[in-house]
Amino acid sequence: MVSSNTTAGYGAGHDASVPKYSTGIAKVVNSALYRHTLGAAVESRIGRIILLAGVPLIWLIMLHVGPIYQMLKISLLSHYPVQPGVESNFTLDNYAIFFRESLYFTPLIKSFIFATAATAVTLVVVYPVAYYVAKIVKPEGRSKALLLLLVPFWAGELIRTFSVIMLLANRGAVNVLLREIGLIDRPIPMLYTSFSLGFGLVYLICLYMLLPLYSAIEKIPSQYLDAAADLGAGPFTRFRRIILPLSKDGIVSGCSLVFLTCIGVFATPMLLGGPTTVLFPETISGFFHGASDKWPVGAAFALIMLVTALITAGIFMRLVGGKKRSAF
Amino acid sequence: MRNMFADAPRTSLTAIYWAFLLYLLLPLTLMMAMSFKDANFVAFPIGEWTLDWYAKVMQDKQFLEACLYSVMIAACSTLAATTLGTWIAMLIVAEGIKGQIIIFALACLPAVVPGMISAISLRIFISTIDMPTGTAAIILGHTVHAVPFVVVMALTRLRSMPGNLVDAARDLGADSVVAFFRVTLPYLKPALVGGMIFCVLLSIDDFVRTFFLGGYRPTLPMLIFAKVQGGMSPEINAMATLVLVVTAAVGLYAEYLTRRARTR
Repeated sequence: MVSSNTTAGYGAGHDASVPKYSTGIAKVVNSALYRHTLGAAVESRIGRIILLAGVPLIWLIMLHVGPIYQMLKISLLSHYPVQPGVESNFTLDNYAIFFRESLYFTPLIKSFIFATAATAVTLVVVYPVAYYVAKIVKPEGRSKALLLLLVPFWAGELIRTFSVIMLLANRGAVNVLLREIGLIDRPIPMLYTSFSLGFGLVYLICLYMLLPLYSAIEKIPSQYLDAAADLGAGPFTRFRRIILPLSKDGIVSGCSLVFLTCIGVFATPMLLGGPTTVLFPETISGFFHGASDKWPVGAAFALIMLVTALITAGIFMRLVGGKKRSAF
Repeated sequence: MRNMFADAPRTSLTAIYWAFLLYLLLPLTLMMAMSFKDANFVAFPIGEWTLDWYAKVMQDKQFLEACLYSVMIAACSTLAATTLGTWIAMLIVAEGIKGQIIIFALACLPAVVPGMISAISLRIFISTIDMPTGTAAIILGHTVHAVPFVVVMALTRLRSMPGNLVDAARDLGADSVVAFFRVTLPYLKPALVGGMIFCVLLSIDDFVRTFFLGGYRPTLPMLIFAKVQGGMSPEINAMATLVLVVTAAVGLYAEYLTRRARTR
């Protein structure tokens, strides 16, 4: 089936595009400039390799690895940016600062608590939804059911955070509604607390959990569930013994994705959090504003966060996922 | 009896789905509704409705400039990311090249690094190469952010491509470059169009990278952030609603395109 499809597709595309394409391409290919540069290059094996690998490798090394490497380098310097008359030495002091002062230690712990809690809540909330779309909705309706859930996803980090304010503010929808019903006399302060931050984080990231879970659950053959039911397994047993173990890949990649995203969220805590919910990204950002000689400390802190976050995600993958890994 | 129990999970799951959908849509709906409030403070109930805020936003020079600026940055970073992402994907599927797993891991690196850290490291990086903050730096940052997604999308499509297509082109006398532009690239097109729209949305939504790499000219998210911090007004709601409607429309269109490509 595959081959017949492709032959047909190729043939059709070929016939239709020959007259239009070939003149333009032929002009380029036959030009002296092409023949002496690219055309000559692809003649030899070395030329082909350079053409294929040159730009990608330079980009990957310069811009995917480079920034992390530079951050590491600067985190080990005593002064940066370099100023005249000040010598910049190698030092581990920037890392030591983190462990000396609880002022810095606490935000990281809070970041981890918020990210872990948000990941757990998201998993529990989104799992039944993903299961519903993947297994209970009929195949024809699935993409529609999924699409409805994806609409808010196009709103972006800032607009979604902003919309949470409409819900939770003192004169927001929830407080006004509760007062109308007569449950409260004065508004419950929900905004700028741990609650609003947690709510906002879950609202922001829950869709990152949906897609990995959905694709994992959708792959579970329905016959397994039917067979288990025939053998007398109730809904709970079927869930625990079949669905949960077989959707493990989705749980692992969904949770890692949500956790790593949550750790790096910057605008949401600044808009929804209060003075008691200063998270680590805000702490780090403080080193890059105003007095710029604190860059090395900021770089060191960013690396501490990166390494601890990746280790946490790694441990989680090992514990839950076992040997098999599926990032994409 | 048995049927009743069998149906209970189904009914409750349906209820959970709709409740979840309501949870997702409610804040955004409230935000949109507030943009029609005929008063200059944000509070429920809405009372009088008006379109004045939209009229005001459409005349707001700052907003229109931020829109143009965001679109320009999105267009540049998308073009760069699509080119680079496709190139990297071609390298990963190429025969006779070693270390493809490492190349793939490197390509995905920016997607694994949390946004805040990626932004900080890029800020440090541009200062080490003496590049000033501003438009070029933002474009660079958004490109780095988008490349992994293009690579993954292009790879998925490339892996489903029959190898004999390129072989046939070679037999007919095309060299590698011609074969790429005449056979591989047209085959990749649906994946790349979807990927490009995704990149545009990533760039327009991005806050943290722009925050650290940008200069004084605000992009859309920067402008909205500054306005929210400066005090609430239904004007911000009108702005956010306009942005939301446009990005959602673009997103839905991308969804439609990729679906059509899949069924063809």
